[in-house]
Amino acid sequence: MSDPKIEGYEFKPGFSGMAADTASDQTMFKGVHWGKAMMWIFLLSDTFIFSCFLISYMKGRGSTPVEWPNPSEVFGLHVFGVDVPLLLIAIMTFVLITSSGTMALAVKYGYEKNRKMCGWLILATAIGGLTFVGMQAFEWSKLIHEGVRPWENPFGAPQFGSFFFMITGFHGTHVSIGVIFLFIYAYKTFAGHYDEQKRGWFTSIRGDYVEIEILGLYWHFVDLVWVFIFAFFYLW
Amino acid sequence: MDETNKKEQTTTHKIGIYLWIWGLLFVLSFFSYMVDWYQFQGLLRWSLILIFMFLKAGLIMAFFMHLFWERYALVNVLLWPMTAIACFIFLMVAEFKYTLFTRLFYFFVGG
Amino acid sequence: MSEDFKDSKAIQAQSSETISSGAGSSSPDLDYVRPAEVGDQDLYHGHSFITKWVFCQDAKVIGVQYFCLATFTGIIGLILSWLMRLQLGYPEAAGFMTAEHYYQFVTMHGMIMVVYFLTALFLGGFGNYLIPLMVGARDMVFPYLNMVSFWMFFVAVGVLLASFFVPGGPTGSGWTLYPPQAILEGTPGSGMGIILMCVSLILFVAGFTMGGLNYLITVLQARTRGMTLMRMPLTVWGIFTATVLAMLAFPALLVGSLMMMLDKLLGTSFFMPTILKAGEVLEYGGGSPILFQHLFWFFGHPEVYIVALPAFGIISDLISVHSRKNIFGYRMMVWAIVIIGALSFFVWAHHMYVSGMNPWFGFFFATTTLIIAVPTAMKVYNWILTLWRGNIRMNTVMLWCLGFIVTFVNGGITGIFLGNVSVDVPLSDTYFVIAHFHMVMGIAPLMVIMGAVYHWFPLVTGKFLSEKLGKWHFWLTFLGAYSIYFPMHYLGFIGVPRRYFEMYDSPYMTSAVGMNEFISTAAFIVGAAQFILIYNIIKSLKIGKAAGKNPWQANSLEWLTPTVPPEHGNWGDRLPVVHRWAYDYSVPGAKEDFITQTTPPSEVTDSKVEKT
Repeated sequence: MSDPKIEGYEFKPGFSGMAADTASDQTMFKGVHWGKAMMWIFLLSDTFIFSCFLISYMKGRGSTPVEWPNPSEVFGLHVFGVDVPLLLIAIMTFVLITSSGTMALAVKYGYEKNRKMCGWLILATAIGGLTFVGMQAFEWSKLIHEGVRPWENPFGAPQFGSFFFMITGFHGTHVSIGVIFLFIYAYKTFAGHYDEQKRGWFTSIRGDYVEIEILGLYWHFVDLVWVFIFAFFYLW
Repeated sequence: MDETNKKEQTTTHKIGIYLWIWGLLFVLSFFSYMVDWYQFQGLLRWSLILIFMFLKAGLIMAFFMHLFWERYALVNVLLWPMTAIACFIFLMVAEFKYTLFTRLFYFFVGG
Repeated sequence: MSEDFKDSKAIQAQSSETISSGAGSSSPDLDYVRPAEVGDQDLYHGHSFITKWVFCQDAKVIGVQYFCLATFTGIIGLILSWLMRLQLGYPEAAGFMTAEHYYQFVTMHGMIMVVYFLTALFLGGFGNYLIPLMVGARDMVFPYLNMVSFWMFFVAVGVLLASFFVPGGPTGSGWTLYPPQAILEGTPGSGMGIILMCVSLILFVAGFTMGGLNYLITVLQARTRGMTLMRMPLTVWGIFTATVLAMLAFPALLVGSLMMMLDKLLGTSFFMPTILKAGEVLEYGGGSPILFQHLFWFFGHPEVYIVALPAFGIISDLISVHSRKNIFGYRMMVWAIVIIGALSFFVWAHHMYVSGMNPWFGFFFATTTLIIAVPTAMKVYNWILTLWRGNIRMNTVMLWCLGFIVTFVNGGITGIFLGNVSVDVPLSDTYFVIAHFHMVMGIAPLMVIMGAVYHWFPLVTGKFLSEKLGKWHFWLTFLGAYSIYFPMHYLGFIGVPRRYFEMYDSPYMTSAVGMNEFISTAAFIVGAAQFILIYNIIKSLKIGKAAGKNPWQANSLEWLTPTVPPEHGNWGDRLPVVHRWAYDYSVPGAKEDFITQTTPPSEVTDSKVEKT
């Protein structure tokens, strides 16, 4: 967000500002809430996890002499008598981006202290996430029905199923955790915990609308990972 | 943690920018779906996939995650570690080519 | 000639400042430090025994909890090493031990010592205790998460130790857990053992991530007024950089463990190639064992520096305090730590020269490995130059520091041997490698831990440890450790392979028998000598000499708390304000030979302090 005002500290733009921020006392990320900084560093760590997954997938797919199944056909749907490639995946992408957009707006309204609007948008995001998880469950059951297993599949290299279930499973776990937190935060927003700065249930840290942005960062990250999975797993 | 109360509340952005980015994401997703729909192959397919992927990822990070408005100190801390990942990717490409070569060589040709 | 003189004076004026009393005290801004950016931290104070000592949110208590649990697992690792040495030196006395047991002990010893002992001790133990104190924070920024982090570690240790009691015992695949053998029948503990190991590692990573986020954000965002990054003690720099490495390296371990568990439990073939067993093709096929090695060492090499960097940082502070001199080249030391940390992500496959990876990789990784020796050597020079003409106190702490430098140089030089492909190929999988890594990341960091314990014990408990026992402890450990690992270099040169349960009767191995007996005897003595420390701690807690405030006359903030030992919240009513770095020792013109970090410039007028 835009630079806050800090007494006795002059903000400089660009790289000279980076040098000044880094060389200054107290904080390196000026005006960044502790929790937000933590979420960013956590996401960096999580990026490494997903990168390792995708790199393993690249190594596995690249080095197998057996033919890799064509994802366009495997993930296609047969609707109204037509074979549509990747239809379900396209809808899932659509849903996830929609929920990402509502989340971004929720953060905006949170900072404007618009409790109602913020709460509804978080709820919409949660429902979007839930839809995504539901469609993923449908996709999994369809593939399992077609004989795809983590250890084998009828289309080609057995690693296809292994990487598919592992990577989408890990991503789906992230989405599910996100959905749970979205519902909790929707409740907390509607109940006004952030307006009255009520202490957290476990952490006893005072509530603040910045928590919505922190949750938003996580949710956008989940969307971000999906962008990469979509490109590398479904399209490649 | 009432640390944020001390500082002035950050100003928010106009709703228009979010809607624009939202729309762009849909359009880009549609384009990348079209890559599959029209069954582009070879280098064209891969470069299109990568371009749309990085554009989408960049938009999400820059605007939805507010990285565009963050100070360089944070942005650089987040982006520099990616060089390690880039190195890992680069080397694993060389590695899978070598593994594939040995497999083809010993199992199918020389074996 | 006269111009030269002028020049050097000008340079001196840039690097240090002398504040004249006349101009200084009259200027009102001399002691100005800009106000706090964020409000005071809102802390949860425990009241009951459970919230104060068990599920405690105070970083200092969590640090001590980490320290105790890590020490406990370390002792288990020590006992395992005794059993291994008993088998190697006196096989006839170790009749109860089978080859399976031996491999299980090797594996558990390695994993415990590297991950559950050294990592947990340096980052969890020293990190929790020292970071908030040294940067002038009231506590870690997320105390609750910090508490959960310790209890995750506790569960991880529990799961790890539980694997001793499951059918088949713990895994015996070596601490590197290489598939396919790690999960195939025939390897000890290929059933429950390896699964529990993976689960334990995943729990450890999850728990450590919570702790690591705390350390990073505390250092980056919760420093006190006046504490810039370049005024932090090197201890904090070392632990901070090591934590960055851990946050970025542990993901690879997590992914590797998870995929191996799937290979074991679901029958996927991530790492499992087509395998013929007793004439039958197993159901696995098409996987890549080398992929695991890459993932493992993408974690494993930074892991080496996760252990080494805190040691580098702590040793710098100890040497500076106990030779009453500022650390030589502070900025260079900081940059060396950062550069070593960054480079450690680009060297991992030097552990894999003989693995059958792409042969061109040898060029890349040998180059990066030799580059990393440059900042490391810089650090060694700087430690020695710090000692040079210092006012050295020859106490136990200093002995451990000197011991560290010697063992570290020894281990570092053999590391340069092994970094070169052509030298590594004949030496890999021999005792030379064992000697190298025990010297450089076993004994050397251990020396630092011991030095740090003797140094900070007065802070944690308010009592000194016994110097007499400490010197016994040091000399037995130092000479004993050398007796163990120095001959191992020779064993490696004559080709004795590592991981062998028994040396059998081959002619070149029989020549090693006498040496193996000698090494084993030394190992028993060194192991036993560590219990001197435990006795010393217990004794000193009861009847130790009271230390009082700042007994070593150190500068850094942790010694400047209103109460010793520090209470929850660390600083009483007011947070300290920092005016200088932590190394103003023996400053010309100063009244005492140390100027604490909180001393304002107006109080040290006419002394030539460094400009920081």
